[in-house]
Amino acid sequence: MEKEKIKITNKLGLHARAAAKLSHLANNFSSNIFLVFNGDRVNAKSLLGILTLAAAVGNDIIIEADGEDEVEAVSGIKDLFERKFDEEN
Amino acid sequence: MKIKGVVITHGELGRSLIDVAESILEQKSDLEFFKFGWDEDGSTIEKKIKVYLNKHKDAGIVIFTDMFGGSPANLSLRFNRPNVEIITGINLPGILKFLTYKDKKIVFKELLKIVRDGARDGISIISEYLGDRKNGKRKN
Repeated sequence: MEKEKIKITNKLGLHARAAAKLSHLANNFSSNIFLVFNGDRVNAKSLLGILTLAAAVGNDIIIEADGEDEVEAVSGIKDLFERKFDEEN
Repeated sequence: MKIKGVVITHGELGRSLIDVAESILEQKSDLEFFKFGWDEDGSTIEKKIKVYLNKHKDAGIVIFTDMFGGSPANLSLRFNRPNVEIITGINLPGILKFLTYKDKKIVFKELLKIVRDGARDGISIISEYLGDRKNGKRKN
C-alpha cells in the first residue's frame, strides 16, 4: 500500500473537470486507488465518487493505492494535483 | 457488445447535457441528440429513432429522455426491446456515468443500473448530506 498526503492548491478544488482528469488518470493504473478526505474514502477511478468529497482549495487529501503499480499511481496523481490540474497556466 | 446512446428531450435540454458532459470529460462523444419540438406530433422523431436503431442494430442502445410520462419518453416506449432500453429523467451525473462506463467491458443491463443509480445519487439535499457525512452514514 502506497500512501501520500497532499494539499489541494488549485482555486476551484476538486470540481467536475479536475475530478474528470483525476479519474481518467487513475483508470490508467491497475491498482485500486482511493482518495481519503474528512473521514470519507472514495474510489479515485469514479468521477462522481470524487465529486462527493466536495474538497476545496487548501484541504489536505490522502491518496492511497494498492496494487502492482501503486508507486506510479500515487506519484502520477500527486503530480496532477501539483500541476493544479493544468488549469491555472 | 458496443453501446450507443441517444438523448431525446423537449427543447435544447438534451443538447446542453451532452455539451456540458463533453466539456467536463474534455472529449467528444458519439451521443446523439433528437429535439422534440413543442409543435411536433412525434412522427419526425419516430423516423429518426428508426433510422438510428437500424444503423446500430448490433449495439446495445440507451435512449435517454427528460421525464417519465413526457412525450419523448412515451414515444420511445414503442422501441423497448432487448437491445434497446429507455432511461427517463436523465441528468448530468447520469450522462457522465454513461459516458465513463459505456466502453468498459460491462454487461448492458449492468450499465443501465449504474447509470440509473448515478443519476439518482446525484440528487442531494445538502443539509441531509452534510448531516450524514457528520454521522458517518453516507455511502459513496
